[in-house]
Amino acid sequence: MRRGAAIAVVLLALAAPAARAQERHGRPWQELSPEEQWRAWENYQRYQQLPEERQKMLERRYQQFRAMPPQERQRLRQNWDTYRGLPPRQRQEFMDKYHRWKGRK
Amino acid sequence: MRCQRARKWMTAAVDGELSPRRRRALDGHLAACAACRRELAVTERMLTALEGLPMEAAVSARLEQATLRRVRLAAADEAERAPASRWRRWLPLPAFALATAAVLVLAIGIVRRTGEVPGAPAVRPAPKVDARDAAQAQRPPRRIAKALPAEPPAKLAEAPDLFVDMPIIRNLDKMTHFEAIQTTTLDDEPATPDGQEPPSNG
Repeated sequence: MRRGAAIAVVLLALAAPAARAQERHGRPWQELSPEEQWRAWENYQRYQQLPEERQKMLERRYQQFRAMPPQERQRLRQNWDTYRGLPPRQRQEFMDKYHRWKGRK
Repeated sequence: MRCQRARKWMTAAVDGELSPRRRRALDGHLAACAACRRELAVTERMLTALEGLPMEAAVSARLEQATLRRVRLAAADEAERAPASRWRRWLPLPAFALATAAVLVLAIGIVRRTGEVPGAPAVRPAPKVDARDAAQAQRPPRRIAKALPAEPPAKLAEAPDLFVDMPIIRNLDKMTHFEAIQTTTLDDEPATPDGQEPPSNG
């Protein structure tokens, strides 16, 4: 009985860093669907072409994104889908509104 | 503020990375400078276009052939100029032996796997092809193929979700305040329909 409890404690201790890493970095590569792997690979190539300070900025924002609750991340994904679905004119209008909104903050 | 500084801050402004104080200073400058307003619009369009850019490029067959010819000529020039070292004079012999061995190993492998002798005539006659089709088939592919690596690079393997969600992360501020931004009016009226100021993100 005591031995089983000890094994469970050891397993938990071993699993904790992995869980923390997943919390920080998201899913491992193997868990991505083939479409997601493609998207990640394409975006990675874009990322490689960015200047270093922009890469760092993205990493900072990614940590902010990871720190959000799952529902909030889902809301942002839905907003992105809505934005992507907008026709070019409305997208431009959204950008104009964003700058106006940002200026008022 | 001078135009030079305003232009330096524009990319950060488009990404929402500028501090509120700098953003106000930039907005103040933009209100008075039409050239910088145009520049900002161009920057925005460029960044949006970059985001949607496909990761493959169409290269004409002619350009590709010309480039390859130049590379071959440059390589030939380089080989002529390089002095042959003493050991290099003996290089062709082991290289030839190695190449022969490689061809033999490959041939044995093919025969064992498929039961067909490489180079032997095919049992079925080859279908007739139009001369134009044949020329088209011989031409190199016009697009640079995208290829997913067998093993992702370390950075990609470390945080794949960063790259899956990169467009959202790049537009984090906009997506976080999406609803508030959409209800913002572009004239000088208050930002929201009920006259409230847009919420601050802290």
